[in-house]
Amino acid sequence: MSWTHRERILAALNHEEPDRVPIDFGGAEFTSITLAGYERLKKHMGVTAPTEVMSIIHSAAHPAEEVLHKFGVDTRNVQPGAYKDGPDHWIDDNNYIDMFQVHWQRTEKDVDQHFLHKDGPFHGGKLTIDRVEGFDWPNGANPGFAEGVSERVREIKAKGEHAVCLYLPGGVVHRGYAMRGFESYLKDLYKAPEALQRMMDKLCDFWCDTARVMIEAAGPENVDIIYFGEDLGTQDSCMFDPETIYKDYLKPRHRRMVQTVKDMTNDQAKVCFHCCGSAYQFIPHLIDVGVDALNPVQVTAKNMEPERLKAEFGDRISFWGGINTQHTLPFGTAQEVAEETKRIISILGKGGGYVLNSVHNIQAEVPPENIIAMFETGANHRYQ
Amino acid sequence: MSVAEIFDAVMEYEEEDVAALVQAEIDAGTGVKKILQDGLIAPLDVIGEKFSAGTLFVPEMLMAAEAVQAGLDILRPLLTETGVKPIGTVVLGTVKGDLHDIGKNLVGLLLEGAGFRVIDLGTDVDGEQFISAAQENEADIIALSGLLTTSMPEMEKAVATVQDANTNRNLNVKVMIGGPPVHHEFAMTIGADAYGMDAPAAVEQAREFVTG
Repeated sequence: MSWTHRERILAALNHEEPDRVPIDFGGAEFTSITLAGYERLKKHMGVTAPTEVMSIIHSAAHPAEEVLHKFGVDTRNVQPGAYKDGPDHWIDDNNYIDMFQVHWQRTEKDVDQHFLHKDGPFHGGKLTIDRVEGFDWPNGANPGFAEGVSERVREIKAKGEHAVCLYLPGGVVHRGYAMRGFESYLKDLYKAPEALQRMMDKLCDFWCDTARVMIEAAGPENVDIIYFGEDLGTQDSCMFDPETIYKDYLKPRHRRMVQTVKDMTNDQAKVCFHCCGSAYQFIPHLIDVGVDALNPVQVTAKNMEPERLKAEFGDRISFWGGINTQHTLPFGTAQEVAEETKRIISILGKGGGYVLNSVHNIQAEVPPENIIAMFETGANHRYQ
Repeated sequence: MSVAEIFDAVMEYEEEDVAALVQAEIDAGTGVKKILQDGLIAPLDVIGEKFSAGTLFVPEMLMAAEAVQAGLDILRPLLTETGVKPIGTVVLGTVKGDLHDIGKNLVGLLLEGAGFRVIDLGTDVDGEQFISAAQENEADIIALSGLLTTSMPEMEKAVATVQDANTNRNLNVKVMIGGPPVHHEFAMTIGADAYGMDAPAAVEQAREFVTG
């Protein structure tokens, strides 16, 4: 049989082997390429289409249809529209205040030019329930989020049978770090757990409301993949205790988020959860809350060896990513990238359950030849 | 009342208790060196071991470091008065072109908790800035951090600049590096003296440098 892109990726996520490994590139703002890297790639490939920005904060490009077609990419991204009549605004080219009143600053001297959070509404002082309740929270159901969504879905459907991938921004950890400050958020798990949980609930409500608005605009039957993510891991360990803090504070919220999108799509949409670093100890919990695929599978982090992941969890969760951004992609040869890609496909892709993608966005210094080698290896792959 | 209670209060992340207990020990005439070593440094070492073993995580490390800091704030004037010197001075920073500081800050907190004087230069620091700060503060160690793979060449440059100053400009420091993309082999290739695999390992390495 001949497989459509959508069928290919859904088969893999149902732990079946399609014709070849499915490929993602730019399905979400953490499975794409940095703007600087994209310019190099475009030049190398002779692509003249103007660069579309997917996320200014992550400095991520929205790869042109021409590029996606050449690489045989099976996914197509749908981003939320912009918040309408909100408090978000630019101070200047390098400083942005978002709808949560978080101040983002461009890393001007960094080659990637992405943004880091510098200040937020709950930075400094004690976090209290009154402070959380007193904040002017943005509305997750703001109609701006739906803007352009149905048009984009129609465009994807008209151009070919690609998988429709909805990106849902935020979460209860990552956005919480930005609003409260990283260290304060983590210390509040001990110092102000009630107030912190109130903040988590507000963020969870916001996320679920946005999910409803976007899924309705897309048409629930059209949504194939939902991406969202949080950073729960570090290079060598977990950010916090998976068996106490994650289980007690975060897991119930993640369960509600996943359930919301599953209910809305009649259990049809697959949920791809992004967690950098060592996600190993969180995987059983993610499976339990209904996550279908783990991204970006940072194979260089602790306990993230592909063999280990596939053997322990391969029948219950799919893996999405895994091509080494910390070593092979930037510093290897094209030949080494091709070999590494084959190796990862042979391990993580056995019996399906794998979507090819780099570990997080392809960075600026990655040679275009290496990017092409990764995707060509995927496109030329065949099961059987 | 004993120094062991301070140890326990750090292990329980009780910042205010630590401060009160340190004051009580000082009032009772316990030696500041004993309070520092057995009450503050020892429990932070235990926390560090548990962090490296993966049984405690970032929140616990931050809470313990904050509790130790509360004790140090009270102890510091007395340490100066009684002539107890820091065990060494470390100039710390994230290398040029990189603005990430979470890992670096954690290393700084633990170094201070271990009795080091820490000069934190922040982020986006080049080789010459490390050298000037090391000279001004008579530092023993320069510690470089980085998150991005794109900052690895900057790290190499900074290490080369510092090692050149060690050879030709009368500087005498050890150089160590850390951060997610780097590893022992890279540290050796670029001429660093050591690699810190995580924050407690960086402290252990710094101790080895100053005790020989």
